[in-house]
Amino acid sequence: MRWLDVAFNRALLESVLVGSMCGLIGVQVVLRRQAFFTMAMTHATFPGVVIAAVIGVNLYLGGAVAGVLAALTVTALSRRRGHDVSTATAVALAAGFSLGVVLLSAQNGFTKNLTAYLTGSILTVDEQDLMVAAAVTAGVVLVLAAVHKELLYAAFDRHGARAAGYRTGAMDLLVLILIEAVVATTVPAIGTILTLALVVAPAGAARLWTDRIASMTAFAVAVAVCSAVGGLYLSRAFDIAAGGAISLLAAACFMLSTMFAPRQGLIARAAHRRRRRRTPPAGEPDRAAHGEPVPATGR
Amino acid sequence: MADPAATPPVVEALHIDHAAIAYDAEPVLTGVTGRVHAGEVVALIGPNGAGKSTLIKAVLGLVPVVGGTVTVLGRTPAAARRDVAYVPQADILDPQFPVSVAQVVLMGRYREVGWLRRPGRDDRRIAAEALAQVGLAERARATFGTLSGGQRQRVLLARAIAQRPRLLLLDEPFNGVDLVSQDALLGALRGLKRQGTAVLISTHDLALAQHVSDHACLLNRRMFGFGPTGATLTPDLLRATYGNQALELHGDQIVVAHH
Amino acid sequence: MHATLVEPFAVPFMARALTELLLLAGLAGVVSTHVLTRRLGFVADAMTHTVFPGIVLGFLTAGVDGVLPGALAAAAVTAVLLTLLTRSRRVTDDTALAVLLAAMFAVGVVLVSRRASYTADLTSFLFGRLLTVTTGQIAQTAVVAGLVLITLALLHKELLLRAFDPQAAAAMGYRIWLLDLVLNLAVALVVVAAAQSVGTILVIALLVVPAATGRLISDRIAPITLAGVAVAALSGYLGLAISYRASVSHGLRLAGGATVVLTLVAVYLLTLLAGGLARAVQSRRTSDAVA
Repeated sequence: MRWLDVAFNRALLESVLVGSMCGLIGVQVVLRRQAFFTMAMTHATFPGVVIAAVIGVNLYLGGAVAGVLAALTVTALSRRRGHDVSTATAVALAAGFSLGVVLLSAQNGFTKNLTAYLTGSILTVDEQDLMVAAAVTAGVVLVLAAVHKELLYAAFDRHGARAAGYRTGAMDLLVLILIEAVVATTVPAIGTILTLALVVAPAGAARLWTDRIASMTAFAVAVAVCSAVGGLYLSRAFDIAAGGAISLLAAACFMLSTMFAPRQGLIARAAHRRRRRRTPPAGEPDRAAHGEPVPATGR
Repeated sequence: MADPAATPPVVEALHIDHAAIAYDAEPVLTGVTGRVHAGEVVALIGPNGAGKSTLIKAVLGLVPVVGGTVTVLGRTPAAARRDVAYVPQADILDPQFPVSVAQVVLMGRYREVGWLRRPGRDDRRIAAEALAQVGLAERARATFGTLSGGQRQRVLLARAIAQRPRLLLLDEPFNGVDLVSQDALLGALRGLKRQGTAVLISTHDLALAQHVSDHACLLNRRMFGFGPTGATLTPDLLRATYGNQALELHGDQIVVAHH
Repeated sequence: MHATLVEPFAVPFMARALTELLLLAGLAGVVSTHVLTRRLGFVADAMTHTVFPGIVLGFLTAGVDGVLPGALAAAAVTAVLLTLLTRSRRVTDDTALAVLLAAMFAVGVVLVSRRASYTADLTSFLFGRLLTVTTGQIAQTAVVAGLVLITLALLHKELLLRAFDPQAAAAMGYRIWLLDLVLNLAVALVVVAAAQSVGTILVIALLVVPAATGRLISDRIAPITLAGVAVAALSGYLGLAISYRASVSHGLRLAGGATVVLTLVAVYLLTLLAGGLARAVQSRRTSDAVA
């Protein structure tokens, strides 16, 4: 019997692939603050998958098409007067998801399919799923490696990048499509909402440990792969939903990082605050964005 | 000078002729006319909301010019971008972004390096030199967000220098900048001027404008004056530009009271 | 027309569903205006997911009666956690929110996955049962709506100031975190109130789309709120009628809550379209006038 003929082994390979691509794209998501968009994407691909199932085409294709439509919708809506990106994203999320539910409710087997979509079924992946996951992982790696420096510039200084002649709109769309490809591939394995955890939590945790993109990326991929594989074993050991276990592991890594990370962790910061109480800080982060008074120094 | 055929167009870094600039149907800035030549520093002066940033964006080709013309280095603004560098205000950038100072300056080389290729040794050398010009060579390995506001502004200027532009645009570079950084910025600008770079600076600090610029352009929704700094920053023209805002004159020192 | 728009609501369970939806419309129209001005779209979304484990725990310990207390407890916990999270500056808000959201949801999923009736339970928690709403639940919703609306009305000007200019609000001595906590609790209460009828996941639509529609029509708070309430009420009514008609006349079962939400989104899109057309006509007129 081949190694791949065992369902658990296939799940293991899938979790490694899914973990790698989520960790990679997570760095972009965290740096560009697109967690909410990722969330919306996980829901907006839903109607596409349902329609694909009904008319009998490839499910990934259906999800991908719906995702591209949603990405374009968010981009277009957020340009409206008085609509910030968060409103546009929430509208797209609600629209996509309710459309999916309505379409699905018109079918038989409503609850069973819906559950599979929400929490995934990594133990039933077949070799075709694995091939798709491998192809998407390879694609994401190649694209990110190719345009890494331009994406960095635009994420750091959007106005500067535009002034330098980069088409930031096109680059945004590229990132959104990458996110979307990862989401569409990951959702069938671990489910809509839990995909968000595997994308955001590892990169968020990595961000707390380092100030350099390269080490952040490596760390994020490591955390994501470990969470995915570890969660799979946990789910087998305790008979709990695999998607839930994977997300909880990833979230636990994030929580531990917020506490124990050097300099940025809660413990290190408390110690730092005590030390610094006598000397006022220089170069504090922008508090205004978080609704707090800006210190009178410097401005 | 007056005959365009006698002067090669490349010497004229920026030529604005009766330009009107608009985001939507309603123009935000009209009647702008002026020239900036190589090695000249021109200050854009006016109150908040006067259209200074808008004019800079128009020169970058990011905002439509709906009337008249804006010509950059003899080309359209969008076509000239490679030879134009832009220094944004440092405080709009995310201080938490994980990049080093050296990485930020190296970004100035990206356009030259091109897609799909990595910056080479020459690019790193040019970036290091640019950082030295603003006096921050020893901070190359620091994280951008750990620098003070003035130092961040200097790093952004270094990035622009690394781009080796022929026209440099600065948007309120002296806002909230400490004296040490202000001196470093002014020093670096003088260096650029000597090398023949044309510089356009928006500011509402009149004293600095008088100090740094050869020409001044007075803006408040339209142009109120353009010419040699001394002859343009006159009480009458300033009063016309600033309207009802308090304006105090102490000898040749002019102070605009700001909210 | 009469058969589609009036007849269905003669059936008692449909009348109850409509009452519940109209109550929620009033509540959602007002709260969504605050969500819009404070840009709390993601916070609201997070809230809809974090209430889920509370519902599951409540149901597991005390059956159907445990759902409301469980949801309330989870809502209170997350409102506090979210207020704290958005105050700390190191991790960007949205990253922390996303992790909190997914983690709490995962707790819910793991808890449910231990049960035998896994899939059926999960679905009813997530999508609600609009057509089985009881008078008791309507009374609960009415109490929550009254409480939230009175609180928001009393704090209206402070919340507006905090949304528009937090620095000025802080300088004037307001406690920003307290105002934030109040609003987060209000959002949480809407989620709790709507969870059993519309379901936790679709509440996000009620918390965002009404005011977003209002925003397309007006740029003043009062008309936005009024339009939001009207749009939510209209969509509730139409959505119910459509889902009833589809199942009775065409044998097509459409999930009630989701149909309502989809109607709401459709109204939003129509408004968007109408606004775009109006603008196109207007700009042609001005460009004609200029030329």
